[in-house]
Amino acid sequence: MRYDKPKVVSIKKIIEENSRVKSFLFDLEIQAKPGQFVMVWIPGYDEKPFGVILKDGAGLMITVAAVGRSTKALHQMKAGNLIGIRGAYGSHFHLPSEAKSIALVAGGYGMVPLAYLAQEARKKNINVELFLGARTQKELLFASWMKEIGVKLHLSTDDGSVGHHGFVTEPFAEYVKNKQTDQVYVVGPEIMEYKVAQICYKKQVPFEVSVERYMKCGLGICGQCCVDNTGWRMCVEGPIINGEDLKKIIEFGKYHRTASGKVEYFPWVKKTKN
Amino acid sequence: MVDLSVDLAGITLKNPLILASGIMGVSASSLKYVEENGAGAVTLKSIGPKDREGHHNPTVFAWGEGVANSVGLSNPGVEVALAMIKESMDRLSVPLIVSIFADKAENFVRVADKIMPLKPLVIEVNLSCPNTEDEFGKMFSLDLGAAERVVSMVRTVCDRSTKIFAKLTPEATDFTTIGKAVENAGADGITAINTVLSSIIDPYMGCPILNNKIGGISGRAIKPVGIEAVYNLYKTVKVPIIGTGGITTGEDAIEYIMAGATALGVGSAIYYRGIDVFQKIAKEMKDFMEKMGYKTITEMRGMAHRS
Ligand SMILES: Cc1cc2nc3c(=O)[nH]c(=O)nc-3n(C[C@H](O)[C@H](O)[C@H](O)COP(=O)(O)OP(=O)(O)OC[C@H]3O[C@@H](n4cnc5c(N)ncnc54)[C@H](O)[C@@H]3O)c2cc1C
Ligand SMILES: Cc1cc2nc3c(=O)[nH]c(=O)nc-3n(C[C@H](O)[C@H](O)[C@H](O)COP(=O)(O)O)c2cc1C
Ligand code: FES
Repeated sequence: MRYDKPKVVSIKKIIEENSRVKSFLFDLEIQAKPGQFVMVWIPGYDEKPFGVILKDGAGLMITVAAVGRSTKALHQMKAGNLIGIRGAYGSHFHLPSEAKSIALVAGGYGMVPLAYLAQEARKKNINVELFLGARTQKELLFASWMKEIGVKLHLSTDDGSVGHHGFVTEPFAEYVKNKQTDQVYVVGPEIMEYKVAQICYKKQVPFEVSVERYMKCGLGICGQCCVDNTGWRMCVEGPIINGEDLKKIIEFGKYHRTASGKVEYFPWVKKTKN
Repeated sequence: MVDLSVDLAGITLKNPLILASGIMGVSASSLKYVEENGAGAVTLKSIGPKDREGHHNPTVFAWGEGVANSVGLSNPGVEVALAMIKESMDRLSVPLIVSIFADKAENFVRVADKIMPLKPLVIEVNLSCPNTEDEFGKMFSLDLGAAERVVSMVRTVCDRSTKIFAKLTPEATDFTTIGKAVENAGADGITAINTVLSSIIDPYMGCPILNNKIGGISGRAIKPVGIEAVYNLYKTVKVPIIGTGGITTGEDAIEYIMAGATALGVGSAIYYRGIDVFQKIAKEMKDFMEKMGYKTITEMRGMAHRS
């Protein structure tokens, strides 16, 4: 079941994952594959895209980092409060049919779609190597859940409180040098995704990445999430894009469009085009 | 062999299906993507005098028979849009229609004036967006004087080689009179209709779903409204009409042609049938024409007025 008009539901349960991140659970029949997202209507504030998880034994779950006005408002809500949900939308991850071992590279809330993918991969007995990074140990999302389902963890923290002291891309680069992996999946800040993509191209490992762009309709009509130069809509043809197709998205790692449609370069890119 | 090509105010379209303004057309790449999927021409999302974020979400959702939106004319502003218009012209092989809007007649002129050096084939003057108002708090195309003034003022800054289309709302009580007035003011064509004002309330939440409370309905729900508008306009004006509103299938398209449309705007159907809806509708039009023995679009145009 997909909803194109917001389906109003009450929040069944809220889990505090860490000081910045909360998970919200709902009783809602919905079809959703790993990598897809829902549009969540926070009444009086906004409607925003969030990755979706159908967690075994728990149902529909979204996991939200409080970053701005509407995510902070969502964090203030209590079990029993009403919100609206549309979707699920977009493309999803693919597990190669003969896959024996896959690698996931996650940064921040990028762990959300990857956790759902890990759950599905483990059910098929695929070996899952997870490279998970965060600022500090407490912010490593879903680490214990992943351990429980038999995912192999490679942790990195910016402050060195646990695991590798530094970027998650470093232990991942080491790993693909020596180990056989059928496919890599990466979701996180775009700069991190970009670095992982370069490593994968160099090692010729197939990969899939989530390309997140500003969303309005989620229905493929408003054009807000279209990327250069293909014009693909990240709410329909994306957000999950494979490494070969990614080569055609020339703005990846460079710029995105704001709500007005204006091109905005990422802070780490020198401005060359307007 | 049936022929879908049409002559729209002197511009040849390989088929009459035009991407409507505000759907997809926010960048050269998105327009190109629509062209690749079979559109005969494409319209840019309306460009205004300055950068506008539009309204907060929810700005768009769909309910069974229609799409509700209050995007609120988000656009990067004409200065920034110039490069995008230029890039679109360079990359597209089908005609580009540049849609413009403003809060005042003078600002319509400013926007048109900025775009003129690029020599656009068509400027569509959006007089009918439910998300902007004129100085008197009304949509331009609800007000005969305001609509006439905008078109004649824009006409003065446009070369004759640039065709001006006025986009109207069917909500004006004197709709056909306004159509006649913009024709007299120098419009080379009319686009009808824009979305229809509406609101949808969620009974559980107890409030409208759109953050802006009200918005415009498009899609299948408004097709009969659009047909009526085109049917009556065809009796009143001589200039060509781009019939728009709810066109989803080949038969919908034929209905508009028979009401008197020369070309057809397609928007929300992308939601119902995918980005390749232009190819699908064109094929269905061809199949219909073959079955019924029509060879050209022209022989069907305005047919519904015969009896
Ligand atoms: C496909 C996709 C999946 C996502 N999944 C998750 C998730 O699982 N968990 C999570 O915490 N966050 C997720 N996000 C990001 C989330 O949508 C933003 O954090 C949220 O919209 C911020 O809203 P705000 O009002 O709190 O902050 P704001 O101050 O409004 O925005 C902060 C930043 O969030 C981004 N953003 C804001 N609005 C939108 C929008 N409508 N569409 C896309 N990006 C926007 C922009 O980069 C902006 O600079 C996802 C985004 C996308 C596109
Ligand atoms: C999301 C959305 C945005 C729109 N934005 C504009 C716009 O910027 N300018 C305009 O003239 N019309 C705009 N429209 C109206 C369409 O161009 C068209 O007139 C209307 O949707 C009816 O056609 P349809 O039923 O095929 O969608 C918009 C419509 C939608 C659904
Ligand atoms: S968000 Fe509107 S087309 Fe993708």
